Amino acid sequence: MRRILGALPLLLFVALAFGIPAIAMVAGAFTVEGSPGLGNLALTLQGGYLLALGNSVKLSAVVALLGAVLGTFLAQAVVTSRSTVLREAVLTASGVLANFGGVPLAFFWVATLGNSGVVSGLLDLPSGSLFTFWGLALVYLYFSVPLMVLVIAPALDGLRPQWREAAANNGATTWQYWRYVALPVLTPGLLGGVVLLFGSAFAAYATASAMGAGTVLPLVTLKIAAALSGDVQTGFENIGLALSLDMVLVAALVMAVYLPLQRRSTRWLQ
Amino acid sequence: MTTLAPVAPVPETAPAARSRQGRPRLWRGFVFALAALYFLVPLAASFWFTIHNETTGVSFAPYVELWTAEGFLPSLLLSLGLAAATIVLVLLLTLPAMIAVRLAVPRLRPVMEVICTLPLVVPPITFVAGVSRSLQVGGEVLAPTPFWATLNAVQNQDFPLVLVFVYVMLVLPFVYRSLDAGLRTMDVRTLVEAARNLGASWPHVMLGVIVPNLRSALASAAFLTLALVLGEYTVASILGYQPFAVWIVTISGSKGQLSVAVSVLSLLLTWLLLLTVSGVSRKKGQ
Amino acid sequence: MSTPRIAGLIAALTVVTAACGAAPTAQAPTTAGGVSAATATSAAQLGGLDKLVEAAKKEGDLHVIALPPDWANYGEIIKKFEEKYGIKVESENPDASSADEINAVKTRKGQDRAPDVLDVGQAFGFSGAKEGLYAAYKVQSWDKIPDGQKDPNGLWVNDYGGYVSIGCDAKKIGTCPKTFADLLKPEYKGKVALNGNPNKSGSAFAGVWAASLSQSGSLDDIGPGVQFFKKLKDVGNYNPVESTPATVEKGETPISIDWDYLNAGYREQFLPKGLDFQVAVPSDGIYAQYYVQAVNKDAPHPAAARLWMEFLYSVEGQNLWLKGGARPVLMPAMTADGTIDKALADKLPPVEGEPKFPTEEQVTKAKEDLAKTWDAAVAG
Repeated sequence: MRRILGALPLLLFVALAFGIPAIAMVAGAFTVEGSPGLGNLALTLQGGYLLALGNSVKLSAVVALLGAVLGTFLAQAVVTSRSTVLREAVLTASGVLANFGGVPLAFFWVATLGNSGVVSGLLDLPSGSLFTFWGLALVYLYFSVPLMVLVIAPALDGLRPQWREAAANNGATTWQYWRYVALPVLTPGLLGGVVLLFGSAFAAYATASAMGAGTVLPLVTLKIAAALSGDVQTGFENIGLALSLDMVLVAALVMAVYLPLQRRSTRWLQ
Repeated sequence: MTTLAPVAPVPETAPAARSRQGRPRLWRGFVFALAALYFLVPLAASFWFTIHNETTGVSFAPYVELWTAEGFLPSLLLSLGLAAATIVLVLLLTLPAMIAVRLAVPRLRPVMEVICTLPLVVPPITFVAGVSRSLQVGGEVLAPTPFWATLNAVQNQDFPLVLVFVYVMLVLPFVYRSLDAGLRTMDVRTLVEAARNLGASWPHVMLGVIVPNLRSALASAAFLTLALVLGEYTVASILGYQPFAVWIVTISGSKGQLSVAVSVLSLLLTWLLLLTVSGVSRKKGQ
Repeated sequence: MSTPRIAGLIAALTVVTAACGAAPTAQAPTTAGGVSAATATSAAQLGGLDKLVEAAKKEGDLHVIALPPDWANYGEIIKKFEEKYGIKVESENPDASSADEINAVKTRKGQDRAPDVLDVGQAFGFSGAKEGLYAAYKVQSWDKIPDGQKDPNGLWVNDYGGYVSIGCDAKKIGTCPKTFADLLKPEYKGKVALNGNPNKSGSAFAGVWAASLSQSGSLDDIGPGVQFFKKLKDVGNYNPVESTPATVEKGETPISIDWDYLNAGYREQFLPKGLDFQVAVPSDGIYAQYYVQAVNKDAPHPAAARLWMEFLYSVEGQNLWLKGGARPVLMPAMTADGTIDKALADKLPPVEGEPKFPTEEQVTKAKEDLAKTWDAAVAG
């Protein structure tokens, strides 16, 4: 008993600080008008709610895949560059942007491509272009690409140049090198990056909310906020909790798919 | 933007880059040009937005005005205070636990891993939904018990401890990973045994032996926590408090240029913090 | 145990016990006759308005929430109340929503920090009364308030209201739209904005309902309103940016569908800056909503809370709301007996027609329908 004394505070804290809200969420999600029921969950899988959930998943998937690809290219460009100043600059910038708050990010983009943004005037963009699916994806990439760079750069660094030479010596083309040597090694990192990007895009609320155009962005996070706090929806808290449960289930599903995949790909490296 | 990324240390040994002239250089140049365009244009445009106004032309007034803007200092100080409390609490909870797991109960390791991955599966908005409901129910259920006042003290408007508790949960995965990486570089068992054999008490071991060896990891964890708390909007706004990020949104309704100016400043602040952290870790030579 | 350890333990215990304690049972001051301010349902029960003022002054404080100073002139109302009675008003979280207010009442039950009075949307008036959060109190001018605008038991009462209006920056827009039908005209491409998501913002919700009425919908069906905004989006006139003072000033939301008192507030605010912001109540979609005042049943300052109600429903209070461009609930009565401030009343945008107020069931149904259909109709 004495031995786990050190771990006890943390365990107790997590049990309280995480366990209680988790129980409250599940209990509320299954409470319809005071008694247990599946009504809330059924409601969240229809109409506007289902649209919001589907849209959030679609957006997160697109951002995750795009961000992973673009981030990997950028990381590779940085890692193979000979200028250490450039490497440091890009890695530092990635560290800043990946951890940057969503509110300032939203304001930057509204100031740039919003309806009276500095650049939208120059490009003569149609009104409201930023507040569409692809506009939002563009904004989300701003923190997703740096995140991917941070995740994949160490893995890219780990690609020994000797492997490249060995492959070339055996007659492999660049494409074959990548396909058969580099990519399998990178796969755990790539998978992890995609999952991380998906999770962070899926969970994003501050950015979407601060962009000030919530009317046309069907996102499940915005829906939850509307159910919890606002001037219109009374008694919708349980629906908000049901939506929250939906989100957790989606995230858990992604994790459940990712973990075995990751184990398989790392096993290759053993 | 609700997640944190590990702060990648600049790798010490840059691999001997095989530079093949011509095509790779062109390709790299293209990638960098595109990246520079995408990342720098919004910053430049935002800066221009703050200093240029149709009616008054170019002026740096917003940057001067923001220091005296109502609510700026209180919200900033609140965020900094919350960040400090979060850092202290999360380190106090996590470090002893990780040491204990390494030394005494390795079987708890999977438990630790699960605990520290859990917050990633539960997005902050869902977490705060549960917290909000718990507080409400708790207020009713605990009314006849002595814990009722505790519950209220925790939600104190001037310094909401409830936010600190939530932030600790949010930042746990990243602190854990950071400390784990740091602990892996040192031989914990040997150091601790040696210190204990020499008669050091546990606090002395922690503060005098382990912490100095973890400087880089601790700095990284502190940076991540500070960045998260300063930029945190979701939980604070739903629970009805007004730290820094919430204030920025509030002021944006009445003063657009000011809020973007504050955003530019907060970017500079985050960047400065990161440089400090890298400086600390580089000095230690880790 | 060593000394430092004991000291540490004592310190920890002190901190812990300092923040402990059960919810106090309300110890309300009583006046002659054994009626306490906390349970008084009218000033008469306490022995008259002067006794109420006395009890309130003894409490010395009033805690309000969600009252922005530029919303219906609340800033001046608070100041006048403080000056008149010498009671300090603590105005918390002015940007809070109605849901946040109810939350504050629930989570701070019995605590000194709980709000004393509430100004919430109509839906929350109904729901709060049902949940037993409000105290029954009838102000002295109770009988002059129209029947449909107060709870028969005195649990809540309408305070001020406005009509859905179309605000328009006349300098940026050539001819300002005057009706919902006008809004569909091609010259307003990308210019028509709401002040938020109708699922979250009370005035946006009302805007959709008003649009519904203009499309021969009814209070039973908000569907035509959603269809209207879908049409607005399809012809490219819908502007997704939420209108705020900043966006109005910058010209980002030159046409804003919002409460008439808020649009009128923009007009006053930006006239000195050279903006000509005009306000029109559309004749084809007349929708008015009144907000609701209620007293917290567990108000920490019950006498001050009731005095605040009396102040708001006095001639002075009602005229102060009128000054903010809102229509006070006693306006018909005050116009009849001449106590209304005529100059201010004439400044209100003219309304052609009578508003109808939805019932609780109609509001609930509309909210649910909107939650299901809005995104599909309007999302890009």
